[in-house]
Amino acid sequence: MPSTSLGNIWLIIKREYLERVRQRSFIVLTVLLPAIVGGAFFIPAKLSRMKSSKTQHLVVVTSDQKFGEIVRQQLLSSAKTDDEKAGADKSKENSGDKDSDDDNKSSNNYTIDVDSTPSDGERAALQDRVSSGAIDGYLWLSDDAVAARKITYEGQASSGFMEKSWLSGQLDRAILLRELAQRGVSGDQAEVLLKPVKLEVVQLKGGHETKANDKGMFFAILIMVMLLYMAVIFYGVSVMRAVLEEKNSRVMEVLLSSATSTELMAGKLIGVGAVGLTQIGIWITMASVYALPALAASASAGEIHIAPLTLVAFALFFLLGYLLYSSVYAAVGAVITSEQEGQQLQFIILLPLILAVFMMGPVMRAPDSTVAMWTSMVPFFSPILMYVRIAIQPPPAWQIALSLLLLVATIAGILVLCARIYRIGILMYGKRPTLPEIMKWLKYANR
Amino acid sequence: MCSTGSISESRGIAAGRADAHRRSSILGLPVNTVELNKIRKSYDEFVAVDDLSLVIRPGEVYGLLGPNGAGKTSTLRMMIGITVPDSGMVSMFGEPLRRAHTQRLGYLPEERGLYKKMKVLDQLVFLGELKGLSGHDAARRAGQWCERLGLKEWTGKKVEELSKGMQQKAQFIGAVVHDPQFVVMDEPFSGLDPASAMVLKDAFLELKNAGKTLLFSTHRMDTAERLCDSICLINHGRAVLEGDLGKIRAGYGKRNVQIKYEGDARFLDDPKLVQSFNDYGNYVEVRLAAGADPQDLLRAATSSARLSKFELMEPSLEEIFIEAVGKANA
Repeated sequence: MPSTSLGNIWLIIKREYLERVRQRSFIVLTVLLPAIVGGAFFIPAKLSRMKSSKTQHLVVVTSDQKFGEIVRQQLLSSAKTDDEKAGADKSKENSGDKDSDDDNKSSNNYTIDVDSTPSDGERAALQDRVSSGAIDGYLWLSDDAVAARKITYEGQASSGFMEKSWLSGQLDRAILLRELAQRGVSGDQAEVLLKPVKLEVVQLKGGHETKANDKGMFFAILIMVMLLYMAVIFYGVSVMRAVLEEKNSRVMEVLLSSATSTELMAGKLIGVGAVGLTQIGIWITMASVYALPALAASASAGEIHIAPLTLVAFALFFLLGYLLYSSVYAAVGAVITSEQEGQQLQFIILLPLILAVFMMGPVMRAPDSTVAMWTSMVPFFSPILMYVRIAIQPPPAWQIALSLLLLVATIAGILVLCARIYRIGILMYGKRPTLPEIMKWLKYANR
Repeated sequence: MCSTGSISESRGIAAGRADAHRRSSILGLPVNTVELNKIRKSYDEFVAVDDLSLVIRPGEVYGLLGPNGAGKTSTLRMMIGITVPDSGMVSMFGEPLRRAHTQRLGYLPEERGLYKKMKVLDQLVFLGELKGLSGHDAARRAGQWCERLGLKEWTGKKVEELSKGMQQKAQFIGAVVHDPQFVVMDEPFSGLDPASAMVLKDAFLELKNAGKTLLFSTHRMDTAERLCDSICLINHGRAVLEGDLGKIRAGYGKRNVQIKYEGDARFLDDPKLVQSFNDYGNYVEVRLAAGADPQDLLRAATSSARLSKFELMEPSLEEIFIEAVGKANA
């Protein structure tokens, strides 16, 4: 009975989809996951903001009063600009009176005193003040220490990584400024000398000049890999489970008296697949609503720019990659007799995907190389590798077409094989078939 | 003597009936619902069904009988196209089995084959739609059947919340919701309490009276004896007996005697009269020796005991089966 009825496939998709979407677990997961992920991002951010909003009281100890003032200004102004970057929305009013603020003794985060009596007694007194909590820490800038560029910071809490590198950066700059001043370079001139380089890369694409957009490209690739990975791990297993469940409950037998195994497999795959896409769709919508203002801002600032071709490739390769891996899960579900067996096989299924992620590096470095070309043709790699190539530098159209064609053909092939294993597998329960047995089934089902 | 039980003969019967069908279809008589012609199925070395032939006529209740593991389920699966025979032919409604035929048949598998988490009515509508009903029609008919079988309050419940008997009823509705010509049921009564079995049996008869053809498999000979018009007895994948139940029994003759007596039972020990007997306490069932005249047994019994009952009986299906299998194995 070879003919395939689209009506049956549609009925099976519909049942599979509706039953799953109506399940409480689906609704709970759909709502809960963003809450957890959001929490994971939001709470630490909130915590760090709470910490930084507390004013830190530092003491700069140096015999050179002028140098102490330079260090203080450097720390205050840098803390100020960093703060503006973090809170883009509230920066407007603050930035206006930035200069006047600098003269003020306290910025938002730091109170810095200059102590010009570096002596052992003073040091002991400062240590007492640190332990009693009167100050948060002090910088010991004795002449020897500065000359050796070995400066000690002693504080209540051992300084975090960010703070440490920030501090040393500011001190570098302060010392440079002092050295320049000593050599007769004025403050303004020094600023000019120390202005950092901002590199802009321009990429030539088919004769057109486009601003290379590393950020946008990076995001486009990262999101693809993450989504594909997540979708395959989350929903591939549910395809496997759906097949297994049906096998064990013998619903199959009833269904096979009405529909063919190919129809069942296709319906299951697409139905469960659509559930996954729905969930991911909901999450993406939620995330983008939340992140829209920031995204819009950076997009208008030209920071993130994703080519339309990349977006199309994203949708196509994501869908096909997802289908491909799900169909492998379905095949596994048709062969195994229990979920434990499936878990053992899970790693093997994911292996090509992991390999593809490993190969991303070389392909990104040389998207036009022969290796990149051939690996991006392999169906199990192409959803990631061909997509990466398109995102970086679109390869010739025939290569994209061929890779898509191979991908689609592989999915169809796996589906047909799967349907055969399934049909025979379900009617011989009890033990996992050996590989020779599976081969025999495939041959058998050919007849 | 009665040799109807041999395999070659049972095939002969089916083949003969198939010929009769061909003639009858030329004459415009109804075509057979199912014909199996020497179907064979093996799994690895194990031969599940071995050159099995049978004919199911329209409107009859047909029993596929045999012990567990005889090949009943394998035969049913091939009959409705779930599996394909290694060799042989399956015909349905007078044509080689096609996909389109599945719309006209209903199937009730041996174990419960329903989605546990799905609501009863949704499930029945889904099964009906797969058989080509519109969603609306499927819902209407499923609702009617649920009412008829006392499942009305349960239509909104999930299948897993139903008792085993209820599930079997739901499964039955799933098999008949699209009003099929031909209903195939694998062990429909297994695991059912007597009340549920009764409801199901009544539903059976209702379908039969509506002109449907029914096929069910069972290992319970007494059930088959009460319900079937025709049977096929299979053992080790082979048909041991096939055909009209009444004719099969008549072929075996009245060779059993039920005797109720008080007193000396020495008449039972005469090997010329009695081949074997089975004492049930209240009465004893005697199998006559070959060539023995029941009148001689009656005379022998009255000479030593007082009889309150002496009845010549047709053999039970169970006895026929045991005898036929014994001959086939010999």
